[in-house]
Amino acid sequence: MAEVSFHSEIKSLSLGNGDTFRGEGILGVTKALLQSGVAYVGGYQGAPVSHLLDVLVQSEDLLADLGVHLETCTNEAAAAAMLGASINYPLRGAVTWKSIVGTNVAADALSNLASAGVIGGALIVVGEDYGEGASVIQERTHAFALKSSLWLLDPRPELPTIVHMVEKGFELSEASNTPVMLELRIRACHVYGSFEAKDNVAAKFSAKHRIPTPAAFEYDRLSHPPATFAQEKHKTEQRLPRAQKFILEHKLNEILGPENGDVGIIVQGGLFNVLNGRLALAGLSDSFGNVKLPTLVLNVTYPLVPEQIAKFCAGKKSILIVEEGNPDFIEQAIGQILRKADLNTKIFGKDVLPSAGEYTPLVVASGLVKFFEANGLKAPTLNGWLAETEAHHKEVASALGNPLPPRPPTFCTGCPERPVFSAMKLLKKEMGPVHVAADIGCHAFGTFAPFSQGNSILGYGMSLASAAAVSGTQKRRPISIMGDGGFWHNGLLSGVAGAVFNKDDSVLIVMNNGYSSATGLQDIPSSAPENDGRGNGLEIESALKSLGVPWVKRQRTYGVVGMMDTLRDALTSDEKGLKVVIADGECQLARQRRVKPAFAKLKGEGKRVERTRFWIDPDVCTGDHSCIRLSGCPSLTIKPNEDPLRPDPVAHVNNDCVGCGLCGEVAHAAQLCPSFAEIKVIENPNFIDRLRHRISSALIALLGGNRPAPMPAPAE
Amino acid sequence: MNDVRPVKLLIAALGGEGGGVLASWITNAAVAAGHVAQRTSIPGVAQRTGATTYYLEIVPHTANGKKPVLALNPAPGEVDVMLASELLETTRAVQAGSITRARTHLIASTHRVFTVDEKSAMADGRVDPEKMQEVLRKFSKSALLADLAATAREAGSQLNAVMLGALAGSKALPVGDDFFRAAIRAEGKAVAANLRGFEAGYALATGGLKAVETPFVATMPRAENEIEARAVRALPRDAAEIALEGVRRLTDYQNQRYAALYLERLERFAKHKAADAAFMQELARLLAVRMSFEDTIRVAQLKIRKGRLERLRRESGTDAGALIQVSEFMKPGPEEIFSMLPPALARRILAWIERKGWSERSIKMKVSTTGFFGFLRLRLLAGLRWWRPRTLRYEEEKVWVERWLDLTERSLLRNPEAAKAVVASAALIKGYGETMKRGLKNWDLLAKFVIEPFLEGKLPAAHFADAVTQGKIAALKDPEGGKPLGALIESLKTLPRERPIAAE
Repeated sequence: MAEVSFHSEIKSLSLGNGDTFRGEGILGVTKALLQSGVAYVGGYQGAPVSHLLDVLVQSEDLLADLGVHLETCTNEAAAAAMLGASINYPLRGAVTWKSIVGTNVAADALSNLASAGVIGGALIVVGEDYGEGASVIQERTHAFALKSSLWLLDPRPELPTIVHMVEKGFELSEASNTPVMLELRIRACHVYGSFEAKDNVAAKFSAKHRIPTPAAFEYDRLSHPPATFAQEKHKTEQRLPRAQKFILEHKLNEILGPENGDVGIIVQGGLFNVLNGRLALAGLSDSFGNVKLPTLVLNVTYPLVPEQIAKFCAGKKSILIVEEGNPDFIEQAIGQILRKADLNTKIFGKDVLPSAGEYTPLVVASGLVKFFEANGLKAPTLNGWLAETEAHHKEVASALGNPLPPRPPTFCTGCPERPVFSAMKLLKKEMGPVHVAADIGCHAFGTFAPFSQGNSILGYGMSLASAAAVSGTQKRRPISIMGDGGFWHNGLLSGVAGAVFNKDDSVLIVMNNGYSSATGLQDIPSSAPENDGRGNGLEIESALKSLGVPWVKRQRTYGVVGMMDTLRDALTSDEKGLKVVIADGECQLARQRRVKPAFAKLKGEGKRVERTRFWIDPDVCTGDHSCIRLSGCPSLTIKPNEDPLRPDPVAHVNNDCVGCGLCGEVAHAAQLCPSFAEIKVIENPNFIDRLRHRISSALIALLGGNRPAPMPAPAE
Repeated sequence: MNDVRPVKLLIAALGGEGGGVLASWITNAAVAAGHVAQRTSIPGVAQRTGATTYYLEIVPHTANGKKPVLALNPAPGEVDVMLASELLETTRAVQAGSITRARTHLIASTHRVFTVDEKSAMADGRVDPEKMQEVLRKFSKSALLADLAATAREAGSQLNAVMLGALAGSKALPVGDDFFRAAIRAEGKAVAANLRGFEAGYALATGGLKAVETPFVATMPRAENEIEARAVRALPRDAAEIALEGVRRLTDYQNQRYAALYLERLERFAKHKAADAAFMQELARLLAVRMSFEDTIRVAQLKIRKGRLERLRRESGTDAGALIQVSEFMKPGPEEIFSMLPPALARRILAWIERKGWSERSIKMKVSTTGFFGFLRLRLLAGLRWWRPRTLRYEEEKVWVERWLDLTERSLLRNPEAAKAVVASAALIKGYGETMKRGLKNWDLLAKFVIEPFLEGKLPAAHFADAVTQGKIAALKDPEGGKPLGALIESLKTLPRERPIAAE
């Protein structure tokens, strides 16, 4: 079950005509899908689009009512392939994933899908994980749209437009027999706003009203030669012009501002709000988007409509293209359109704006200023603002002196994956370094301080595959790290099957924490079924054994010494071939969500409950912080030393400690310092507890110690 | 122009602090008050304890139903209200231009959640909080700076609720107080606690409540016996304060005779003209620390100390009705165990263990100090104080201290600045087991390749103080490797040679 509960959002999904939907952008998309009469929805979780699916997973009644088939796919390729249902049947379907990475994984299926074309509207909602807050390589989804002839929507980042473009996206898809991608940047996915809702539409054919007969055999629908040759032609000769016609007729792109002017701006829809803010500052727009320069807002960034572009540019001295990311596909295309239309409008774009990085207000303002200057326009307020901002930055930097330390994300308090990296760090000291192939997932935080481990990241579930040639060319066996999410996503085949087949002499650690944790605790095939989710407890160990992995060991992650022993064994064993360590430890975020309320309930009912946590004796701690360098746990922190003789801060366990036991394990495994103590707190102690307590207290008092604690009153 | 400027609000929080809930309370209150509100956020992987921001724009209802185009990114210099849950992240927001003198009303909690870099430094890696607060005051239009996390604790509530209250109290938004309260109620989770926090924050912002002050330690203690009085007499005031503490520490650690040895050592330096108050203070401090080295006897003594359990209960937030059982983690190695024997015997045993390759072995122990037998073991160990002066560890520490003091004294004669650095170099040695061995090794390198060559005039005197300080910093910089110290030593070799100058 996902991390976020969408209790109130689920209600918004049932809103109808006359209601106002309020919520975040990505949930607006979910609602728009239902309003568009989708028959099936699927995808693979990942920020910033996880919520689209998470909310649907929790809306079973609504989906059953509408007959929407929901599939939580094992990876993006599966999700893309699922759209194949729309090749033969008049079914509207939508899938979602994080891009660019998800689109990469989906690429094979996407190419085939795009070649065959669809008769039911097919929509791919991609979270463009670009700029601040992004967690993946910085590339543009746009490239996939170009190469596979998929249409790409990039709506203005406000709910009514996003919803409108979802609805129009299906129509566009059907009008041109082409799958459509809707791209939403991070901030657009999370933007909270409102739109006027419509009734949900139940699809004609769906999980409820099933199609009586399969499609007739039609070779031309197969992405297989010779049909593929005709399909390629069909893309450019039929589907493209139909799409362009639809875009024009339905005014999907918006032309704002005065009709005529010397200069104009062409902007990706998703960037319009940033642009408008800076234009308003320059006195060239206002808070309501009334721009004073002709502006073409491309809510569809592929395909462009040449006549629309040419018409917009005709009579203009120059235009500015505001297009984020690299390469400058739109700028290149517009250049070609203008050349062919024999227009002399000068193009500004990546010459005044940077080729890489997010287009923030500051970046856009600098570009605008250069564009204005080159065209004899004046925007003193914009210049003034830029100068002020620069002065501010300089003044703050000099006031601060040193740069501030970064705060990268890290493993949660009590995370079961942290101890594995503690063990690896200790082992590195003992045996020397080994090549570490890192992967995508929470465990990628092991690349940050204090662990700083990992030589490469090649994609989700790719660690073992990325170590194949390393294992064959290096003296020491490399260690690959993979989460259970990555394992099911594709690591099992790309990594494990490949390594077994090729007899790679390699070590793999699979973090078996039970969920796809980094993306928000979604269930995966090996999630325990009893945890009230969609998991059905597929066994990682059985899967490995059935593939013929010769050496599989399970190890509880919190046992640092045991983990070191197992890894040492895996690294040095005489046995050749793949050695897999399944590192067992449930995601603490999920565990605490379950355990905390249960504990509070039992405690409240007066039942005997035990909890453990750790404590550091400030008198014994000498403040060298070597424990922190082996843990980095958020609850293991520092505090001022009360000892006037020792000014360095002492280590300190704060009250967020969940008692995972790592502190004690590390203290033992690393021969650290004797300042760690484990505290077992017994709430509502019973008669035996109290008796034992009384006896030991009395005896300790005899030895000159103080009584361990005031005697609690016996429970009623 | 009949344009309406949106009110812009930015929240900086850390993952898991409820920044999202705070943002939604504010949005809902603003919408309920009839405004148009939009917000967005950058959670990404920040939900796992990283820094995260939420950005809101509110258009007052005067906009008459026209639909505004609101921004999704905060622009530098345009944020009207900044709410920040932690001091360093607030400072980062100043750096980003999200807090500016011309415009921003700042409400920030001054408590610290330390970054891994700060926490894992060998010594003290914390960013100076005074400086950060100074920057915040300097670069904001108004600033409510207080430990809001402490206010939340005192109110039995959460930080985000206190921040909402402070926002309402600040009147920085065109939203009436009751809309905020209603937003908390409408959310329906922990309503009573959140309202308590809200009222506390509100009172704080409107002057009805004082901020929680961090308790301040250290007062000049009075000399209570002859030996303590001797410390006061012998040293300048600032140094005496520390020496007094040192005398007490060492009396507790061993006995008064041992404390007297400490004083004698200090007095030897107090005679020197070049030994100013600052020098004596640092010497008194580090000498006391080094002389109260943490051997097994000391650790046992500290772990059965009276009052420790109450402190432990208090700090771990254990309710009065609950029982606690405490297990101490200990892992003495051969060195810790056998260095408690007389030097001759201990050396022979340790050499034999070394030959056997058992030096890295150790005994893992979990000793319960709330159980009788565990307590008894530590009580017996702590009772061995009388034996301590006969142990190898005692002798080794004595030799080390003498060497350090000797180098300090020789430095003092040549170069008082450098002498201060030599004193400070003792801070390299701390911790237990591995960590301590590494510290000793680093200090030895520093003594042999930096301090001694300078004293012998083999290196140019002008660089003396700086080289020792840099050497200490280098050793602390790379706790695991020691590369920077090695590099520094190498770089000293390239210093221009000068003719040795005989000491006057």
